[in-house]
Amino acid sequence: MTTTTHRPTLELRGITKRFGHVTALDDVHLQARPGEILALLGDNGAGKSTLVKVMSGLYAPDEGEIRLAGDPRRFATPAQARSAGIATVHQDLALVECLDVATNLFLGRFPRRGLFVDRARMERETEEFLRSLDVTVSSVRTEIGMLSGGQRQIVAIARALKTGADTVLLDEPTAALGVRETAQAADLIRRLRDQGKAVIVVSHDMQLVFDTADRVQVMRLGRVAGVRTVAETDRDEVVALITGSRRDT
Amino acid sequence: MSTVTVRAVLRTGSGRAARLLTGPQAGVFAAIVVLLAITQARNPVALQSDNLIEILRSTVTYFIAGCGATMLLVGGGLDLSIGSVFAAGAVAAGMLMNHGVPWPAAIVLGVAVGGLLGALNAFLVIVAQVPPFITTLGSFFAVNGLVTVLTEGNPLFDFPEGFGRAGQGEIGGIPYLVVYAVVAGVLCHLVLEKTRFGYDTRAIGGNESAALANGVAVDRVKTWLYVISGGTAALCGILLAARLSSADPNSGGSSFAFQVLAATIIGGTSLFGGVGSVGGTALGALLFSVLANTLVLTRVNPLWQNVATGTVLVLAVMVDQARRRRRFRTGRSG
Ligand SMILES: Nc1ncnc2c1ncn2[C@@H]1O[C@H](COP(=O)(O)OP(=O)(O)O)[C@@H](O)[C@H]1O
Ligand SMILES: [Mg+2]
Repeated sequence: MTTTTHRPTLELRGITKRFGHVTALDDVHLQARPGEILALLGDNGAGKSTLVKVMSGLYAPDEGEIRLAGDPRRFATPAQARSAGIATVHQDLALVECLDVATNLFLGRFPRRGLFVDRARMERETEEFLRSLDVTVSSVRTEIGMLSGGQRQIVAIARALKTGADTVLLDEPTAALGVRETAQAADLIRRLRDQGKAVIVVSHDMQLVFDTADRVQVMRLGRVAGVRTVAETDRDEVVALITGSRRDT
Repeated sequence: MSTVTVRAVLRTGSGRAARLLTGPQAGVFAAIVVLLAITQARNPVALQSDNLIEILRSTVTYFIAGCGATMLLVGGGLDLSIGSVFAAGAVAAGMLMNHGVPWPAAIVLGVAVGGLLGALNAFLVIVAQVPPFITTLGSFFAVNGLVTVLTEGNPLFDFPEGFGRAGQGEIGGIPYLVVYAVVAGVLCHLVLEKTRFGYDTRAIGGNESAALANGVAVDRVKTWLYVISGGTAALCGILLAARLSSADPNSGGSSFAFQVLAATIIGGTSLFGGVGSVGGTALGALLFSVLANTLVLTRVNPLWQNVATGTVLVLAVMVDQARRRRRFRTGRSG
């Protein structure tokens, strides 16, 4: 998988994003390829979440270009990014606590039957879908607010999987998880890759990164500090790129 | 992933029946029954059908606007302007009828005026990003002033006979007003609980950024919620004008707005969005009418009503907060 020669599905060229005087992203390039997991690393404030939000249509970049399968694209809304095949699991989860698992999985695209939402189909498909991922929830009618952090994260990842997107962005998917839940999340992430999706995962967890990723891209102070394939790098080098004691450019 | 607590299963798995027993509506329902029982013990008029129908009739005006308020609150919005939109609807319809517009058209146009005022609120909240509380407090005063200026403070009357009949007629002993309220309630209930619009509404109120990030058309839904809030408030004003054969620019007002919001919140709708039901609002509105009725029939000074209303409101929210804290591990107060 590390030597894939596929055209990138998602490509960023020279992306710059400013918030007032803060330049959160400065001339950032990035390539995501089908069937590959790209890990995005960097210290707090390096711009990882901002980059994810640019790719998912939440922020419009001030400069630069987003290309999908070679075509320049502009996303005015998250809905546009999603219908272009980009699904996102945000760091702040973006689940609705007072709604149940089934409703959260179908957020933004509730199936209809005649005038009304097809509740039965929603619950049935949620059950089938979660079972296919080996995820068990006591009931798909359980409100998200009653689940543990890990369970919520699994639901959030499952939702991204469910959109059938070719590109999946995950922002710190295991930050709040225990060992077992992290293993399960890693499993879901690999499954995405094996389905041929381009996966970008932001993480601080070196174990997770070296266990799952094919390539790593390190961000530092809004800029790209380096890109490596996992096969040709090691933790020491990655840490050096993160802390800035080593730089490519 | 196998460890969702048994309690959680009990609370949701068994669905509606469990929710009726643990939900906020149970307390409201019990309070209504107790009040009726007390009243009946002191005054046997209480449970006679005339009195019960009178209770229902006085519930109607609060309930229909309460339907709109419920949907808006569930969607995370707030509308204080309903008090003056109420009068604006009545006065608009009245003026149109006085200028020879047929009464059914005048009703429709009066409701449309309410909807337009709602759209204006939505514009200020969504585009100009003024918080809903400020926006609708401002429009409450502005619309109130406008209505007073237009009418010079005088009530309008001399309406077509059909208009009066629409507000005063009965069918099989049941006032038309009650029939309208049932229709409006069922309609709003279906929209909120069954349609994609209703699902989107709840998602927005529960977590607006989650709804947005997942492709819900947040602005469009919110705009319609404010339009519905304004439209139902105007309809209430028009129905009261039909019932009294007079459109009073001083009707409605802040007390109307607060009564509607209080009934809605007592019925279990959260001020913080995501949670609430039309059925709960019906019970909340009914509780107020029963309370007023009790005070009259037991010859308690009716001035006590506001004291009772305020106490019941705070109590209901206290109970609800405690319940919610137990329910969500995160202790989210909304
Ligand atoms: N909405 C925002 N408004 C202002 N500044 C922001 C905003 N979002 C991020 N930033 C700033 O941009 C920088 C990058 O933040 P972020 O992308 O969240 O970093 P990371 O996810 O790598 O920790 C930080 O300096 C942060 O304070
Ligand atoms: Mg971040």
